[in-house]
Amino acid sequence: MAFGFLMLASILRFMAKGWVYNMYIKPKLFFPYYGFEWVKPLGETGMYVVFIVLAISALCIAVGFLYRYSAIVFFLGFTYVELLDKTNYLNHYYFISIMSFLIIFLPAHRYFSIDSSLNKKIAATYAPNYFILSIKFQVFIVYFFAGIAKVNPDWLLHAQPLKIWLPAHSEMPLIGNLLTKEWIAYFFSWFGCVYDLVIPFLLFVPRFIKPTYFFVIVFHLATSLFFNIGMFPYIMISLTTIFFTESFHLWIINAIRSIIKGNATEDAVIYAPQIKTVKLFSILFTIHFVIQLLLPLRYIFYPGNLYWTEQGYRFSWRVMLMEKAGTAFFYVHDRTTGGEIEVDNKKYLTYMQEKMMATQPDMMIDYAKFLKAEFTKQGFKDPIIRAQSYVTLNGNGSREFIDPQVDLSVQSNSFLQNKNWIKKY
Amino acid sequence: MKLKGNIFILSVILTTLFFIACDKKKKDKKDDNEDTSFDKPAMLANYSENIIVPNFQSFKIALDSLVNAYNVFTQTKTVGDLTILRQKYIRATIKFQRVSTFEFGPSESEIVRSNFNTYPTNTLTINSNINSGSYDLGTVSNLDAKGFPALDYLLFGKNETDASLIALFDTDAKAANRIAYASACLSEMQTKTNSILTNWNSNYKNTFTTSTGSQIGSSLGLLVNQLNFEVDLLKNGKIGIPLGKKSLGATLPEKCEAYYANNISVKLAKECLMNIEDVYLGRSANGSNGIGLDDYLEHLKAMHGSETLNAAINNQFAITKTKLDLVAEPLSTSVNNATSTVDAAYLEMVKLLVLLKTDMPSALGIVITYQDGDGD
Repeated sequence: MAFGFLMLASILRFMAKGWVYNMYIKPKLFFPYYGFEWVKPLGETGMYVVFIVLAISALCIAVGFLYRYSAIVFFLGFTYVELLDKTNYLNHYYFISIMSFLIIFLPAHRYFSIDSSLNKKIAATYAPNYFILSIKFQVFIVYFFAGIAKVNPDWLLHAQPLKIWLPAHSEMPLIGNLLTKEWIAYFFSWFGCVYDLVIPFLLFVPRFIKPTYFFVIVFHLATSLFFNIGMFPYIMISLTTIFFTESFHLWIINAIRSIIKGNATEDAVIYAPQIKTVKLFSILFTIHFVIQLLLPLRYIFYPGNLYWTEQGYRFSWRVMLMEKAGTAFFYVHDRTTGGEIEVDNKKYLTYMQEKMMATQPDMMIDYAKFLKAEFTKQGFKDPIIRAQSYVTLNGNGSREFIDPQVDLSVQSNSFLQNKNWIKKY
Repeated sequence: MKLKGNIFILSVILTTLFFIACDKKKKDKKDDNEDTSFDKPAMLANYSENIIVPNFQSFKIALDSLVNAYNVFTQTKTVGDLTILRQKYIRATIKFQRVSTFEFGPSESEIVRSNFNTYPTNTLTINSNINSGSYDLGTVSNLDAKGFPALDYLLFGKNETDASLIALFDTDAKAANRIAYASACLSEMQTKTNSILTNWNSNYKNTFTTSTGSQIGSSLGLLVNQLNFEVDLLKNGKIGIPLGKKSLGATLPEKCEAYYANNISVKLAKECLMNIEDVYLGRSANGSNGIGLDDYLEHLKAMHGSETLNAAINNQFAITKTKLDLVAEPLSTSVNNATSTVDAAYLEMVKLLVLLKTDMPSALGIVITYQDGDGD
């Protein structure tokens, strides 16, 4: 229910900020995900319709109306939007996609919902443990991998990138000066790391749930104060309540109920799905979680510094781990005249796309292929697309990122194959 | 329940103690009351009080005196007054290089860069406007037919002798229209400049100095973004495009800034570069070096390889200036006769851009973007 309301707020915030236009209508090209190149945007009206449908389905999830259908619609719609352009990839959006997938299977509409009051037959007060467990386990994975990712020299030994990010807030009242102290960056780094590694275990211990939850709130509110990370902290804060005991949830529901229509007594009904359904769910969940456990580890198959090459970076819960920025100059080389043009990136890309592309090799390939098509149309014969790019990572000074002689337009993105034209870090 | 409550309270106390302990431990080592935060308000005040507003003031003086010289010339129509008028034009375009960077707040509302200096000049539109005598300089289609590029064309002319140019303002059938057109271009700039100065002095100075954050839309964010935009304009508009960087190496001399004056394009590029450096250093027109971005980078101990980022940037300014100094006027000739010299200056500008656009904002925690979005 909380998930539904938060999603509604997210979607409305997204629309209010004009991001629908900036991210899905204005761009001239989109950067698709590997394997999902067939996902295309729908044009202006289409995209707004998608977002309105998302808002409605989020509301339906919240009040428990046509719950399962709404959840499916929301999952498909949200994932569709995210698949359009990897420029906008955020771990948080990925997390929302996964959560909306998992809640499709939850019997969350069977208690305290419009569905269950319309159709008393499906009403139930107890749900099998494994439904709840699936959500808990997903939260566990997110925290734990985020924690493991923090065990790296830059984060722990150099307090990067927090050493850069925190002093930028020196104008904050009361704590501003404190944020410029070096030890604070170290303290936050170590605290964040220990927090991510320990919290997922503590959450499973009912006895510790209250102090643990206190830390959850403190941690996520702190991140929302310092970093521009939108709705995520609130999503995590509300989602972790699933670890609370039944009595806590009943207490909240009764509180809301007393506001709406006063108290009603009810009989305990256990929701017991058919054996076939259980089997199907367990297979699905198993596949899902195996993927969830393996995907973040795929970086092992790529050589080089993960943060530099970003091969195997996405979908692995590496959150707020690096300060990376770059500038990329693209050149179109005409084979017939031997002449060369420097591309005005602003002409084809939004600022956001340009910024993301400048530090992510797979996006450079996509962009080079787009440029090749674009300039072939303009009369170039089989042009060579090369790029000179400089990237700075965690305050280490910009340096050349890729081989400036390589024709990027003939490179391709593939799963687990190394891009050997990325310079060594 | 009671046990849980106790654990909860205990953990709150423990965390508080931990924070205090950390605080204490450090206090013993170093005086924690010492203010280690950078004085951003002082830096912003330096920018507005000593650089931005004074630069606009001297631009206004140069522009006003250009208008006066123009009014004198249209009365006397002598070669002597034409020469003075051209000198005043050159002075005003040079002073313009020192304000065009600050395209935020009042300048942003007046869209100064586009309204004052969109080149190459569209001579066709200018001539048709003069012939018809009816035009609206406020429309987008007239952007490249007004401002300094239009005056460049009108005051220097294409292959005109002094006498034939004066004739265009004197005996030509459309002389009256031409006089009115140049006048309209000048007064548009005057109105906008006056409005910008008034706004800076009345309330924007305060708005600018009190917005001390680093987020998108903060004063620092605006300044750094626009400074980079200016480096982009220097690299592409002033040098790269005439050099043929966007045209397969085919040089485009007619795309030089102030092409018709034809002996100040390099000078304008140098002035632009000097202004970028002054803004970086927080140095005002009278040469006094106040608190600027360089001090901020030093304060943050930003590094670039084995040297400080500030040192790397200062070196790059020096190299770029040296290379640009080697380029001879007029630029429209140099792009063809001394292509490699111009190219060398261009390549240094690319390196300068990388440092200012990638390293500096990254070290300052500033986002280079005009679009807002969540991070992760």
